[in-house]
Amino acid sequence: MPAWQQVLLVLVYSSITALATGLGALPFLFVRDLSERAVAYANAVAAGLMLGASFGLIIEGSGHGAVQTLAGAGIGVVFILVAGRMLHHHGMDFGTITGAGAKQIFLIIAVMTVHSFSEGVAVGVAFGGGEALAALITIAIAVHNIPEGLAISAVMRPKGAGVLSCALWSVFSSLPQPLMAVPAFLFVEAFRPVLPYGLGFAAGAMVFMVFLELLPEAYEKASRPAVGLLVSLTLGAMILFQRYI
Amino acid sequence: MAGERRALYLEARSRPRPVGEPEGYARGSAIIPADPVLVVLLFSTLAAATASAGVVPFAVLGRVPMRALGLAYALASGLMLGAGYLLLEAGLKDSAQSAFVLMSGAALGVLYTYWIHRFSRTEEVEFIPGGEVSAELGFKIVLMNSLHSASEGVAIGAGMAVSLRMGIFLALSLALHNIAEAATLTSVLLRRGVRMGEAAMLCVITNVPQILLAVTAFAVVSAARGLLTWVLGFAAGALVYLVLTELLPGSYKQASHTWVAAAVSLSTGLVVLLKGFFA
Repeated sequence: MPAWQQVLLVLVYSSITALATGLGALPFLFVRDLSERAVAYANAVAAGLMLGASFGLIIEGSGHGAVQTLAGAGIGVVFILVAGRMLHHHGMDFGTITGAGAKQIFLIIAVMTVHSFSEGVAVGVAFGGGEALAALITIAIAVHNIPEGLAISAVMRPKGAGVLSCALWSVFSSLPQPLMAVPAFLFVEAFRPVLPYGLGFAAGAMVFMVFLELLPEAYEKASRPAVGLLVSLTLGAMILFQRYI
Repeated sequence: MAGERRALYLEARSRPRPVGEPEGYARGSAIIPADPVLVVLLFSTLAAATASAGVVPFAVLGRVPMRALGLAYALASGLMLGAGYLLLEAGLKDSAQSAFVLMSGAALGVLYTYWIHRFSRTEEVEFIPGGEVSAELGFKIVLMNSLHSASEGVAIGAGMAVSLRMGIFLALSLALHNIAEAATLTSVLLRRGVRMGEAAMLCVITNVPQILLAVTAFAVVSAARGLLTWVLGFAAGALVYLVLTELLPGSYKQASHTWVAAAVSLSTGLVVLLKGFFA
């Protein structure tokens, strides 16, 4: 397959993951408002999926070089850490989305958009790791994006925003995915030895996002056993999914 | 590329697996005693005894800030997640059993821990409480620590059954984990008026189930090798669920999310990295 066709494929796949975010607004066609607890459950499911995906990335990366993979993971962690710190210094805190006003709608979109950069890198890098892994990561990220869209919509909808507007802003928050996926994919193709670093980077960024944002949010609004069961069982299902895809 | 992955996968699957006896137990070696059960007993006892070090910060500093305890717990979470990673990785390499068996074991481990919490009514107990500690809370925390250490014992026993090196590595990781855990237990006990020496002793006593379960799990798996994948999965599931329901919620309450996330990622990464050199 010529390189440009592959690039097109990456663009299409990563655009699908971005569009999937819009699905998060769908429940609001049927429900007037969704409980905070349901959003917390969605966060827990997303956390399990991302931890499972990271497990696969680390195992995959270790096949190319364990130390390089973990070095990459460290860079991924620092990347999210710096991005998180920068937002923090601008007074943007994820933990206070309840009772949100217009400002908070802006905040949640901004935070989700920043997250999408690393997700885009994950998709692009995953394509360098083989077709099966790429499809898997695309599905994982796409599924992960739905609760992300759900979270955005759950803030916007009660403030009077239309369902379509919720869906569009959700998709917007994921636009960095196709934007980052293509250069990340090209980078991986050009520098094969960098692949374990890239796989590790995606894993590190995802794991760190889980512990920095998704889990604390989930604990705030849902009971511990609920979070524990949802995260661990989703994580297990994800590992099985990776094994037999 | 896909072919390359497939080849790697097949190679991993066809790797011969020791049948009957775990690898690494050289008979009559000068350093390691010949009897595998004795090795398991020694290292799980070492891991349990290490818990007494949890009182050291209190003995030296007098007071330990809650934030530091929260961070120590985050580090302990990462060590446990790293152990879970190793157990799952070892289980996936097992060619005799499918990943479904491993994950069924993991689901059992998760559900077992869930029920244990329910029956002991410790689902929402604050593991690192601030301020006054009631007698009931103190009792529940001691109880939780004891139940929690049993699952760690299963992990050590299963690891020892995979290979001596992996077992020792797991025992050492969990020994470090125990120190952080014992430090929070000590902070609770001291507030209940328990003396330093007695606190150190209680820290070790709550970890005795670890020794018992390590030896039991090892004996069972050695006798019925087919159970290894089940037990590996069970231990991994239990450890991950413990991290999610006991350790992390306490950490997030006492320390900032950023620091907790950094500590968890760091210690998980270290376990996975060092395993590459050691086991």
